[in-house]
Amino acid sequence: MSPRAAWRLESLGFGEVYDYVAGKLDWMAAGLPTEGTNAMRPRAGEVARKDVPTCGLKEMLGSVRERVRRQGWDAVVVVNEERVVLGLLRSKELESDSDLLVEQAMRPGPSTFRTFVHIEEMAHFMVEHELESTPITTSDGRLVGLLLQMDAVSRVRPDE
Amino acid sequence: MNDHGTALMKCSTCDTPIDECAFCEEPDCRTPICYECLNVALGQALPQPHVHGG
Amino acid sequence: MPRDIDRDEAWRLLEGGAQLVEVLPSSEYEEDHLPGAINLPLTKLDRQAEGLLDRNRPVMVYCWDIA
Repeated sequence: MSPRAAWRLESLGFGEVYDYVAGKLDWMAAGLPTEGTNAMRPRAGEVARKDVPTCGLKEMLGSVRERVRRQGWDAVVVVNEERVVLGLLRSKELESDSDLLVEQAMRPGPSTFRTFVHIEEMAHFMVEHELESTPITTSDGRLVGLLLQMDAVSRVRPDE
Repeated sequence: MNDHGTALMKCSTCDTPIDECAFCEEPDCRTPICYECLNVALGQALPQPHVHGG
Repeated sequence: MPRDIDRDEAWRLLEGGAQLVEVLPSSEYEEDHLPGAINLPLTKLDRQAEGLLDRNRPVMVYCWDIA
């Protein structure tokens, strides 16, 4: 749509025309501000926990489990050195054999969601699908944080 | 059923056969949804006609 | 020829006071748009561009994504 608009504007005599081809989706995925009726609604990126523990593929599951449980977590996001999400260890995966490598125990390629998704939608889906937590990432797959169902729900229904 | 004899689910929004739910990735999800419908529902994409390979 | 730009250049144009135009339908524009952008749906461009835009200033157009 925008290329056609750009060319048409030029044909109408507009001398300096630019086409931001990646568009609004790219802008919002980068967490940049927007205006409009949705702009003030809380989004996944704000509610996600930025301090979620992370680990690498080649770590031993046992030591990762011990570390994260000490920190009071029962979920860990597996990332590479670029912080790109490679897998997820939720409570079920963390119960696996201690001698396994993380890459053997993890849930590979988990579903991830963008920072700009509205929290009402995430809460609805997380409850309906009984999903405890889900990684929130940038459009190039880098971890922003872990969204917990309980945080999403309490943001939508703060009085409950 | 697919070629491997596994029962396919159907997207609860568009009825397209899918192997697993795009949201929770569980093969036995009670309200499975396909990637396209999920992206539209979450505002990660605009509605488009979509087809699947199954 | 219109120039394709990326997000960093879009931000620079926004800060530099360029005219921002979202060409999606108005319902999409109402929900979220780039700061300061006006709505000029593609179907109305011919009729409304003249009155809404200054042809002597840079214009940046955008829609939803690259698709």
